[in-house]
This record gives sequence, structure tokens and C-alpha cells, in this order.
Amino acid sequence: MATLEELQARMTRLEDNKQIEKLQRIYGYYLDYHEYQKVVDLFSDNADSVEIADYGVYKGKAGVKRFYLELLGNKPPRVGELSIGMIMQGVVDVDKGGRTARGRWYCMMIEARSTLSLHEGELRQLWGNGIYENEYVKENGKWLFRKVFFFLNFRTPYEEGWLKVPVVGQNGPGTEVPPDAPPTFYYPYPSGMHLRPHYKHPITGK
Amino acid sequence: MDLEELEKRVTLLEDIQEIENLQRIYAYYFDLQRWQDIVDLFSDDAESVEIVDHGLFKGKEGVRKMYWEWIGRGGKAVREPWVQFIIMQIGAVIDVSPDGQTARGRWQTWLCEAKTFGAFPRQEWLHGYYENEYVKENGKWLFSRLHWNNTFCSPFENGWLKTPLMGLMNYHPTIKPDAPPTAFHPYPSGYHLPYHYEHPITGK
Repeated sequence: MATLEELQARMTRLEDNKQIEKLQRIYGYYLDYHEYQKVVDLFSDNADSVEIADYGVYKGKAGVKRFYLELLGNKPPRVGELSIGMIMQGVVDVDKGGRTARGRWYCMMIEARSTLSLHEGELRQLWGNGIYENEYVKENGKWLFRKVFFFLNFRTPYEEGWLKVPVVGQNGPGTEVPPDAPPTFYYPYPSGMHLRPHYKHPITGK
Repeated sequence: MDLEELEKRVTLLEDIQEIENLQRIYAYYFDLQRWQDIVDLFSDDAESVEIVDHGLFKGKEGVRKMYWEWIGRGGKAVREPWVQFIIMQIGAVIDVSPDGQTARGRWQTWLCEAKTFGAFPRQEWLHGYYENEYVKENGKWLFSRLHWNNTFCSPFENGWLKTPLMGLMNYHPTIKPDAPPTAFHPYPSGYHLPYHYEHPITGK
């Protein structure tokens, strides 16, 4: 029979998982609505970085602000711009000590966006897919993002599909708001490159 | 911490799990076209149900009108094998009130449908957001309010950019809602369905 302290520790672990799942989903809802300041406020002041698809690495909380506010949010969305991200299937692991955590998620995207550059060119309807491998940190009892990493698998015109056109357009690295470092793992379909999971095999431990 | 506090925390986690199951079961019943079973997921004191452009239906009687009489055609609907409503309930953000008796939840939904629209069988993609309310009665969670706000309903052949809305579904010869739709503004209106929650860090 577990002691009260042990039960409390196990309880906290479950609550941590729930809070991180919620954080990740709320992040998605803010992104859908282009509410970038709210997204930035979900990151720790000691954030490591954000790296999405081919935009490159934006480091620190300053980089997080540059990426979301100055790059993505520098203009109001065009009429008809649509960016729905359906973030699913979380595998969240809280590290020993309960201060940091990591999570892998699928994201399926329903979009209508400019394909010439971030804000220019014909608006096209797209399907997108990719994987998040994110890191979280607990500060003052609340979970925040420490690192967001998104691996783009495909971003394809609705009419074509991922086999015919795996990726439409290029997003980065940007010249107006350049990243701190080039993309570290931009290998869309059909590269055959796989984004390594943060977790070990749950049975064999390898 | 004592046993009493621990029990409270366990109950909160159980509540969230039960509410998530309730929402998902609702979607499976919809696909199974078990309309009476859906009505029975609502509290007898339910406030309202509002789906797409059908309008606002108030009370448990309104819930019965919406699902059983309108969508289920009063039990006369023939369940055609080709008709399907695949409703994927994604991204639950559930907040249980401090007293543990009510809760609110936001979800997003991706649908893959085949149904008769007008005179023809059609296949379509839909997307939308829920902002729902739940109530605990006799230890069980029920819907007290359901609102599904539709982003688009687009034919498979065209997609959301070319045909955001396949057509209206707001007419019924005899069944009328208690009030018109409160927030039917499909793509590309740019409408934002308000969140029930504050920002988790800033509280704004």
C-alpha cells in the first residue's frame, strides 16, 4: 500500500500530463486565430527555441517573439487566409523530478494560404501534415513551452495530393526576419527521413 | 496534504476523463445514427443545442426536436448503408468549475461525410469548433449545452477555398428553432468563436 506522499507524487504526474496536453491544444487554438502575442505568452522566459518547417531556428524568448510577432504576425491575415492545425495523439513524458517534459504530436493542417511567399501570391487550399517534438518546463506550478519543433511532412495543394506535390512553396529561411540558425531537420516527404522520437521503447527500453 | 484533498484531485481527473468520453461517445452515436441515444446524453434541464445554421433549440424539448425529429425524422429515417458521419473529436480543453458540478469544453472537429444534400448523394469535408457545457447529475456527466460552430462544409470535389459552404440546412417545413443561429459565419468570414477559458499564463 502506497503512502500518502507516494500517491501525491503519482497524482501530480497525471495532473502534469493533463496540463501539458491542455497547453499544447490551447497553443493550437491561438495559432488558428493568428493570436501570436497569446502564443508567445505560452513560452517560458527561458525558452530554448522555436523551429517550424523550413523557417529556421529562432533562439531564446527573443527569438520566439521575433518568429511569431515579427515574422508570422507582421501583417494581418489576408481575407480567406485559413490555418487550422489539428494537434492529435500526444505522447507526453514528464522527466524525473517533474520540472521538464517532452511531447510528440501529430498535426494535420487544413489551410488556405499564399504560396509565393508568406503574404504574397495566389491563395491556395492545402492539406498539411507534420510532427511536433516539443519540450515543456514547469515554473511556479504552471507548464510552459521551452521548445517547439515542428517537422513538416507534406504541405500539398488540395487538388494534387502529397504524392504528386509533397510541398508547395517555400517559407524560409526568411530574409526580413532572419533566423538565428538554418533549419536543423527539414526533410519533407518523400525524403524517407524520420523524426526521432524523444522516448525510449516502452517495453525494451531501447 | 490529506486524504480529503487527494480525493478531490482524483475526482477532477476522473471528471475530465468522463467528459472527454461523453463528447466522443456523442460523435460515435451520431455516426451510428442513434438519435434517441444522443438525446439521452443531455440533462433534462439542458439549456440549448445549436448546430451549424439550424438555429437555437432550447431546453430538453428543443434537443429532442433537433436530433430525434429533425435529423432522425421522428424515427422514420432509413439508415442507408452509404450514409456516414465520421466525426473526429480533437483537441479537448476541459475546465471543471471549482464546485465540480459543471464544466465547459472546447473541441475542434474534422468530419468526413456522405449524405443526401438536396436531391443528390454528396461527399463532403467539414470543420468546426465546439464550445459546450456539461453538468454532473447523480454522479454522471451530461451535456447541458452544445454549440457546434461550422467553419466550412465543402464538397470533396471542390474543397473549402472554392466552395466554403455546400448550401444551407436551415429550412424545415414544420420544425422551427426557438431562435435564429447565434454565430453562423462560415469561412471566409474570419469569425472567431470565443474561448470559454482565460489565457493559462497571463490570465487574460
